[in-house]
Amino acid sequence: MDKSMTSMEVRMADKLTSVIDIRGDVTAASEPALMAAYEEASRQGARRLVLNFSRLEYMNSGGIGMLVTLLVRANRQHQPLAAYGLSDHYRGIFELTRLDEAIGIYDDERSALAG
Amino acid sequence: MNRVACPAPRRLASFALASVPGSERVALTQVADSVAHLNLPPQRLNKLKTAVAEVTMNAIEHGNDNRADLDVDIEVLYSGTEIVVTVTDHGGGDPGWAGDGDDAEIPDLDRKLSGDQGPRGWGLFLIRHMVDGMKVTVEGERRTVWLTLRTPVPGRPSGGLRHIGG
Repeated sequence: MDKSMTSMEVRMADKLTSVIDIRGDVTAASEPALMAAYEEASRQGARRLVLNFSRLEYMNSGGIGMLVTLLVRANRQHQPLAAYGLSDHYRGIFELTRLDEAIGIYDDERSALAG
Repeated sequence: MNRVACPAPRRLASFALASVPGSERVALTQVADSVAHLNLPPQRLNKLKTAVAEVTMNAIEHGNDNRADLDVDIEVLYSGTEIVVTVTDHGGGDPGWAGDGDDAEIPDLDRKLSGDQGPRGWGLFLIRHMVDGMKVTVEGERRTVWLTLRTPVPGRPSGGLRHIGG
């Protein structure tokens, strides 16, 4: 039953910003995929990362912990994180956990890239 | 004084799931299906689903210690004014918090980012903010988490519902 249905694709949106398109679930089991995406973005020279949650299906506390791990790694490299595409429910969870204070939250990709 | 009759809770669903990763997704779907006819506001339903998934995951990983031979039992009750979901594990494992979790460490993002706390440990915090009440009962190896979500009374304005707990 353990279908870790997560895919993370990296694309350079501009010279300095990589977007990670997240599809499916964000749980502790997604950590290898997210960290591989992060490393790929860094390898491409990203100075800023944008997480696209518009195809997120499910996120749990393990996924929140994984985002904290990503934040720690990105902070060390002085790479700001932004996100867009969160549903109202998950936006509320970002507020509850204060992740929204550490990750800039935007309505869409255009504003996330402009931010 | 007028007395309001409290109807006996009605069972909306009762099912068992194996303690394997992914069962929490099944739990949240089945609980959502069982309360669909109550037409909860989507935000309330999403909060209930998140709480059910977190409690079920905790029962699998901690209570039953990921032993696939041990079930997690889930029951959904409805009294007319509230939904109660019970999640029971049978392994006697350490749930990661004592009692109802009142004394559990509160996750703090600043401390996590500085390395003072581990990155995980959000489950109980989320559960307590998603529902109106949570309690834990233990009988031997059997541990049950009770989640309560108040529902609008039919025919009355729903008003604001406040969160209880951490």
